[in-house]
Amino acid sequence: MAALDLRAELDSLLLQLLGDLEELEGKRAVLNARVEEGWLSLAKARYAMGTKSVGPLQYASHMEPQVCLQASEAQEGLQKFKVVRSGVHAPEEVGPREAALRRRKGPTKTPEPQSSEAPRDPLNWFGILVPHSLRQAQASFRDGLQLAADIASLQNRIDWGRSQLRGLQEKLKQLELGAA
Amino acid sequence: MAERGKLITVMGDEDTVTRFLLGGIGELNKNCHPNFLVMEKDTTIHEIEDTFWQFLNQDDIGIILINQYIAEMVRQALDAHQHTIPTVLETPSKEHPYDATKDSILRRARGMFTAEDLH
Repeated sequence: MAALDLRAELDSLLLQLLGDLEELEGKRAVLNARVEEGWLSLAKARYAMGTKSVGPLQYASHMEPQVCLQASEAQEGLQKFKVVRSGVHAPEEVGPREAALRRRKGPTKTPEPQSSEAPRDPLNWFGILVPHSLRQAQASFRDGLQLAADIASLQNRIDWGRSQLRGLQEKLKQLELGAA
Repeated sequence: MAERGKLITVMGDEDTVTRFLLGGIGELNKNCHPNFLVMEKDTTIHEIEDTFWQFLNQDDIGIILINQYIAEMVRQALDAHQHTIPTVLETPSKEHPYDATKDSILRRARGMFTAEDLH
């Protein structure tokens, strides 16, 4: 009976693994499509701004990540990833906040930009007025990052399932040897 | 942020690194090494391996994105990496499309079954 239960567990694990592999293939195809869209948009941006205007020469000397990963352990040894976005540097508000007369004499108190708190948008490395194609490229790659996190989670699940499968197969062999 | 999450690093050609940095994953300051490696014509395999091992041993990295053609250069190290974190994700590049037969994870999954397992 124990062997029967083990076999049933093996079958269910195998089916889950095959399902995960199919899902991985699907997500891979979507990621590749996003990446290709992004390349096209990047190429259009280079065409508009100049070949050398979008590359490592424009990287900032100081970067802070806008995107991080939250790793959570669903089951023992099984990690799942989620992309978390930190606040983007908000544009500075110019002008009076309240509907009141402005004082023409004396300095107006505008709030200091909170540059130390929110990371700067990487789009600003390439200029103030960047072409729409570069914004589109950024949007494609942002979607790609979430997909990458999903694919990484799936890969971990497949690896975990594989080790579980090996463990169950060993147990089954031991049982069958003992019964024989 | 009270507790910062894990980082995503990228190793690839200029286009790959630029696109992921545009997505907002880049980290570079006076104290830290950058969390990316741009593959140039004069980048040696030794540098790639060193950077890869460095990323593998950092606690604050969750995912390593690497162009598949660069992953081929460090395939041994990649295959030896059994930990769940950081997870290595192979990506295509402009000149080298993604080939599922070369992916370490999928090769391991294909090797799940031997002839005796099927009996």
